[in-house]
Amino acid sequence: METILLKNLPDIEAYFACGGYKALKKALGLKPAEIIEELKKSNLRGRGGAGFPAGLKWSFIPPGGQGQKYLVCNADEGEPGTFKDRELMLKNPHALIEGMAIAAYAIGAAHGYIYIRGEFAAETALMNKAIADARAKGFIGRNVLGSGFDFELFTHRGAGAYICGEETALLESLEGFKGQPRLKPPFPALKGLFGSPTVINNVETLAAVPSIIENGGAWYAALGTGKSGGTKLFCVSGPVNRPGVYELPLGTPLRELLEVHCGGMKDGKKLKAVIPGGSSVPVLTAEEALAVNLDYEALAAAGSMLGSGGVIVIDDGQCMVKLLQVLARFYHHESCGQCTPCREGCGWLEKVLDRLEAGGGSAGDIDLLYSVAEGMTGRTICALADAMAMPAMSFIKKFRGEFEAHAAGKVCGN
Amino acid sequence: MPNLTIDGRSVEVPAGTTLLEAAQRLGIYIPRYCYHPKLSVSGSCRMCLVEVEKAPKLVTACSTEAAEGMRVLTASEKVRQARRDVLEYLLINHPLDCPICDQAGECGLQDYYMDYSLRKSRFEAEDKILRQKRRAAGPYLMLDNERCILCTRCVRFCGEVTKTAELEVMERGDRSFIDLKEGRALDNGYSLNIADLCPVGAFTSRDFRFKARAWFLKRTPTICLGCATGCEIEAHHYEGTIYRLVPHPNAETNTWLCDHGRMTYKAVRAGDRLGKALIRKGLIDLEPALRETATRLEEAKGAAAVLGSPWLSVEDNAALARLAKDSVKTANYCFDFSAEQGIKDGILVNKDPAPNTAGTRTVKALYGGLSLEEFTGLLAGGKIKILITEAKAYGLVKAAAEAAGIRLIIFARNRGEAPAAAYAVLPYASYFETEGTFVNYQGLRRMTAAAVEPPQGIKPLWAVVNKLASYSGAELHLDSAPRALKDMDF
Ligand SMILES: Cc1cc2nc3c(=O)[nH]c(=O)nc-3n(C[C@H](O)[C@H](O)[C@H](O)COP(=O)(O)O)c2cc1C
Ligand code: SF4
Ligand code: SF4
Ligand code: SF4
Ligand code: FES
Repeated sequence: METILLKNLPDIEAYFACGGYKALKKALGLKPAEIIEELKKSNLRGRGGAGFPAGLKWSFIPPGGQGQKYLVCNADEGEPGTFKDRELMLKNPHALIEGMAIAAYAIGAAHGYIYIRGEFAAETALMNKAIADARAKGFIGRNVLGSGFDFELFTHRGAGAYICGEETALLESLEGFKGQPRLKPPFPALKGLFGSPTVINNVETLAAVPSIIENGGAWYAALGTGKSGGTKLFCVSGPVNRPGVYELPLGTPLRELLEVHCGGMKDGKKLKAVIPGGSSVPVLTAEEALAVNLDYEALAAAGSMLGSGGVIVIDDGQCMVKLLQVLARFYHHESCGQCTPCREGCGWLEKVLDRLEAGGGSAGDIDLLYSVAEGMTGRTICALADAMAMPAMSFIKKFRGEFEAHAAGKVCGN
Repeated sequence: MPNLTIDGRSVEVPAGTTLLEAAQRLGIYIPRYCYHPKLSVSGSCRMCLVEVEKAPKLVTACSTEAAEGMRVLTASEKVRQARRDVLEYLLINHPLDCPICDQAGECGLQDYYMDYSLRKSRFEAEDKILRQKRRAAGPYLMLDNERCILCTRCVRFCGEVTKTAELEVMERGDRSFIDLKEGRALDNGYSLNIADLCPVGAFTSRDFRFKARAWFLKRTPTICLGCATGCEIEAHHYEGTIYRLVPHPNAETNTWLCDHGRMTYKAVRAGDRLGKALIRKGLIDLEPALRETATRLEEAKGAAAVLGSPWLSVEDNAALARLAKDSVKTANYCFDFSAEQGIKDGILVNKDPAPNTAGTRTVKALYGGLSLEEFTGLLAGGKIKILITEAKAYGLVKAAAEAAGIRLIIFARNRGEAPAAAYAVLPYASYFETEGTFVNYQGLRRMTAAAVEPPQGIKPLWAVVNKLASYSGAELHLDSAPRALKDMDF
């Protein structure tokens, strides 16, 4: 299959050579509503984790010329196990810039921001250079390509908080406040950045837009399967022979990703489990993983989620209690602390896991873990609490034996 | 106007009404911590979760607007479970020091725990996160971070009401804590509202701390006389002593109270409260003091003057007017007070520090008298030998009276109020101890209520005037406050 996103074209001339910025020219000749229609046809779903249909999201922006509107690109990429947006920005920054210019034109935004994870210093520099190059060619700035459409694009570096990847916390941070998710409604499409209608999309979502405009929504949809249109970047980490970022059509079997593209498990390692969509989604057993296809519907049917596409491979030498403890430490550290269940629950889970991991827990701790996690589910302002609770519940459900061994005093070597 | 049902009962509410408010209309109480009707919605404590039929998740009643046809359940098992869970989460890092906590008895944690949980905590006590215990946060407040449940009401109050923004949530996650911004103190003039707002014992009043257990207190609704705003308050008292004033929220005047108003009760039991009269600074029983005063008035016949006071009730001013007209039989009296009125800080405090400037107009309308300018001129003119008035009103004519060496008969409740030069100081009951009518800057006419008894032998001012008149040989027949008003069109 042809690669759409992961082309190695950091330089604007190389991007031109591959037909770069043709889609923007084409888009400027279309009506905004036609672009949104094409997006809807493409079945492009948000690549940041929630999988919300991109065309539908854009259509929520009140049409018409009045008032400021904003486009924001979420390049915070903090989800453990996820490292695709970074790769995309390094390899194909102009696809993101072009996609943003098209999106901005479609929703009527004159300003765009790329909110980049604080640690991505080199990536920010590269994006800034790419934006400057695009500006020099007239793709960014006043009167883009003589169309009368103005589009200013800025980068903004985060300061290291995972929660700033949540779209409304990101907006707070971008406005200069402490990064804490906002209560919704109102949704950003009506009241977003600086109180104005705003679309927030992931890097990968926006970078897919030029190819959709160029080749049509139907073409893109057909690359994938069902309601999951197009290709997706999968970030594979863990004891496989070739970990890394892979662009594959949605609907590709997970088994194919692991066995063909990643070259199978490393010598002597046996697959035990896979977290298929970044650390925030429920874990799959090896058996479930090898039977599932990588698309939004199939993974939901298997009781997990496609999420960000961070595929975390776990072999049978790893302790699930220890792994969950690592996750709990992460979410406990990153909870913004507004909502009672998340603020108190994450820390509580970590404490119980600490004692289980150290062999000091009791049998009751397992049900306690489960019910604390259950009490956090679906009851908070943002999905961070669920991102802690869902893996926790699935770990316990699917690997209860390992938790029981720890409750009975087992201490792992690592 | 969406129609919805809550626990099977239907209700129609204006568009924009939240589920919490809609339930309130039906008398259904939804527990809440972060919600406050006068602050922005935070939606963070998650205590108010309710079930909406067909919604995938529980929703926060404080932030969800009622919609046509919604069917809401506020007491389903799912909802009750969510409440129990939130309470359990809140208590895991709470010190549970109720026996030494001033909030006990009116604590949001205690109350809801009794109502919704009664579950034994499954958290190991030794794992609790310890936080900073009590410390002073400004002149009126103590802050105990360990008891805080991070509802952010205090932060929003300072941000939205006083707009002084002294407070902030520092750190994040379960390391979060409320703190003053660097170099700031909570001295915004309204800080004690925070002690009321705080649903737990994190912010407590330094004044009230450890003075009385909340459950012993009796509550008497009355009004604050700290300025012309006339906030509605409740005096909380026990065995004849007032321990604190709290707001009695109402649509007309106030949700909050200012710190100055809160402290007005202090004068009632202050060390210099007069239990007897003073003649030339010497303590003496009221009766002989009144006889002495009557004699001095007799001597001064024709050269006596009476000044009313915007710090006194309508009744007490009326009694002074009767004293002037019918007992002293002089036209040298004045009930003419005016002051610029209106809220001066955009919140509550009035430009007019006197509580009854508007009320004195009724007295003037009925009894006439000199304008304040004429009256001051009269005093300065040297013909007046003796002046009867109230301590604060005396301040308005002090310069003229002092220059003319006039003998002063001053009504005062506290020794500190009365001018040192007063010939006689006559004590009277404070308006926490007796009823009195006051008219605030909006023209609202309301009465104070007697929350506690005056000190032994101390009477309302109108009764003291009645006695003084009878010693002067003229019965005014004022045997009750309403009688003092009997001529008035009230
Ligand atoms: C705790 C949390 C962290 C998140 N972090 C990211 C992130 O780093 N990058 C991202 O694109 N989306 C992240 N999201 C999802 C965003 O809130 C949002 O759904 C997404 O940016 C929308 O873009 P999309 O529709 O193109 O996916 C996060 C969500 C949560 C709850
Ligand atoms: S769920 Fe957690 S991270 Fe999200 S808003 Fe609530 S406390 Fe903050
Ligand atoms: S101090 Fe009181 S009012 Fe402030 S956040 Fe804590 S519990 Fe709420
Ligand atoms: S504003 Fe005036 S009436 Fe209200 S509490 Fe303060 S002093 Fe009393
Ligand atoms: S009262 Fe609704 S979330 Fe706190």
